[in-house]
Amino acid sequence: MLFNSLEFFVFLPIVFALYWLIGGKRIKSQNLLVALASYVFYGWWDWRFLSLILFSSLVDYSIGLSLGKINKPSKRKLLLWISICVNLGFLGFFKYYNFFIDSLINSFTFFGKELSINTLNIILPVGISFYTFQTLSYTIDVYNKKLEPTKEFVGFMAFVSFFPQLVAGPIERATNLLPQFYKERSFNYANAVDGLRQVLWGLFKKIVIADNCAKYANIIFNNHDDYSGSTLLLGAFFFAFQIYGDFSGYSDIAIGISRLFGFNLKRNFAFPYFSRDIAEFWRRWHISLSTWFRDYLYIPLGGSKGGTKMKIRNTFIIFIVSGFWHGANWTFIVWGALNAIYFLPLLLLNKNRVNTDIVAQGKYLPSLKELGQIAFTFFITLIAWVFFRADSVAHAASYLENMFTLSLFNKFEVFPTTILLLTLFFIIVEWLGRAGEYAIERIDFMKKPLRWSFYVILIILMFSFTGEQQEFIYFQF
Amino acid sequence: MIKFLKNIVVFLLITVIIGEIVVRVTHAVTDIPQRTIDDSGIQKYFPNQDGYWKGGDHQWVVNELGWPGELPDSNDNLINIIGDSYIENFMNPNECHQSTFLKENMKDYNFMEAARSGVSLIEAMEISKQTDTLNPKHTLIYVNNNDFLESIVEVKSLSDITQVNLTNNEIVFGKMKAPGAKKVLYTWKLLYYFYNRFPIGGNKKKKKKDALETTSKKDAERKTEHDDNILKLINYIKANYTISNKTLVFHPNSDHMIIDMCLNSGFNVIVLDSSNDSKDWTFGYDTHWTCYGHEKVAEQVSKNLLSNKSISLSN
Repeated sequence: MLFNSLEFFVFLPIVFALYWLIGGKRIKSQNLLVALASYVFYGWWDWRFLSLILFSSLVDYSIGLSLGKINKPSKRKLLLWISICVNLGFLGFFKYYNFFIDSLINSFTFFGKELSINTLNIILPVGISFYTFQTLSYTIDVYNKKLEPTKEFVGFMAFVSFFPQLVAGPIERATNLLPQFYKERSFNYANAVDGLRQVLWGLFKKIVIADNCAKYANIIFNNHDDYSGSTLLLGAFFFAFQIYGDFSGYSDIAIGISRLFGFNLKRNFAFPYFSRDIAEFWRRWHISLSTWFRDYLYIPLGGSKGGTKMKIRNTFIIFIVSGFWHGANWTFIVWGALNAIYFLPLLLLNKNRVNTDIVAQGKYLPSLKELGQIAFTFFITLIAWVFFRADSVAHAASYLENMFTLSLFNKFEVFPTTILLLTLFFIIVEWLGRAGEYAIERIDFMKKPLRWSFYVILIILMFSFTGEQQEFIYFQF
Repeated sequence: MIKFLKNIVVFLLITVIIGEIVVRVTHAVTDIPQRTIDDSGIQKYFPNQDGYWKGGDHQWVVNELGWPGELPDSNDNLINIIGDSYIENFMNPNECHQSTFLKENMKDYNFMEAARSGVSLIEAMEISKQTDTLNPKHTLIYVNNNDFLESIVEVKSLSDITQVNLTNNEIVFGKMKAPGAKKVLYTWKLLYYFYNRFPIGGNKKKKKKDALETTSKKDAERKTEHDDNILKLINYIKANYTISNKTLVFHPNSDHMIIDMCLNSGFNVIVLDSSNDSKDWTFGYDTHWTCYGHEKVAEQVSKNLLSNKSISLSN
């Protein structure tokens, strides 16, 4: 079920009404409702894969319980590895099996040998990368004794399958979300209003910005040989806003809906395109995944505490794994590696934590230096996005080759003025609201009539400029 | 919670009202004229209506006889034009109607249109009974393959379209489908906007259509059955209506089998041909003719009318 679908607009009020009719004191019943609703939400797409979520929940629930009882380190480690193997095994099979087989065949062909292994016609279960990492975080935290194992299975099921963030995150830590399932939830007016506001902004990002930018990004990327460098740069720009609007829009909707049910999810995006360097960008982009890799991969590998070689190794590992997490394609690996290359100089010069505050805080405009930094960071991000969006590394290379020619200074061949104006409006609102959790969080300074007028304008823009409905990009990851 | 729900309801009401104003002011949807059924069982529009086509670029009008378009200045040397949505032509301004272009090409004649979307061939013949009272020199009936099939109850019974039951030779007049719901939908423009923009089960409809196309390919033998029914329909029309002063104008790419059947049964026929034109006659988003398309159609029709000796333009 898509957040921007008619079914969801029927589903959400029903679940919301039932949830609060049950009341915050009947926690178990509410959890059961959340779990059932989440299974309906997921099953709407493909009910067969519900068994995967259920199995994953059962495995990690049982392993968690066992970890709570066993103190022997070797046995605890074994249990942890069982959880890791089961979860990553599913992920590996559904997401990466064909990639590995293809890569193996290509490698053998390269050395002049033919290998005959058949790839499989595998459907990738929506959101598998997200809920796998979420359940893994539970087992790892229980193993590290940061979290007490839960005994209540329904609550755990609801945690694993929580519908607002099930298929595209944010990837919640068990330490943050799970305890919320065992606490009494009470309806909070301010929280619910704020949640709805965040949903509205998320829908605007998805429907108006992402879906409209997608149209032009697709046209330009799919016919890149026909366009001049300037248009190709514009194509990368459209994709940058498509993916940002799409993914951060989804996160806003997920966080907003969760607040309607009395849950608080972690922030996933913090205005990444206003970053002054790539390290800041990565502290602001897909925060739940970056911090997941930081805590469960980078730090266990030694982080940046070792020598230069270790720093370089760990940086490449985390960025390449992060790229590979996005999809079984060399393009994502190159995208990850490229970001590692961007990041390394800052890390090695100890300048990766220079820009930790809000850019031009309290000012309407950035300084020239800040503007230059933002523009440069955005530009190198655009280059990396070309790999992320391209069908193959060769496609990306050809795209960039065509882009960096003298035709970069030609007139644009594709120039949708309305969409660009809408994107400009979006950038301005994001800039003005960059001190908040999301762009329009602090709109309360406006009087009610003005505030409501703004909401109505957003809704009218949504219905007037609805792009062709696209699935959220991150569903495929 | 009550405050929250109250605020949501109030906000939604305000949004709906503002949305309605925006849709009306910007003409985000086409104004749809109200229909009625006259004493003869013919569905037409309430007379003297007007409204805007989507985007507000041009207005459509329904004349005092209840047909879209303007009436001719005089009924002398009258040629009537009967058809479906192609002739109704709400999507183009009045200067792009068949009557206007034909008048430009045949200045000695006057033209009157009687068209409504969904008109079948048999309904067109019924309409011609009414328009014949104006004593026209000739009547042009614009048709495509579907107009034949949709005329026959035995092929598929369609309650909202006028058909003929070939088993008992009886005309079954079409009824208006959900008139109440349609009135609400067309009056509440915002609702109509949503209905158009976000069709319920849009994908399912497409899948169903695809499945139907596959089935129809599989059932090639059905075509023979349809051809038999079409021949019976043609014979029925020949027996029950005056056809000597009428010409069937076939859309481009019409079925040659049907055209031949009509010719062999003594109908006057004009077959439109767009194959030699490098410019498209139709809109990108649907199959209706653009202003250019109408101009070209009128060009071919007037040329045929003036040169074809088998078509008589005298009473």
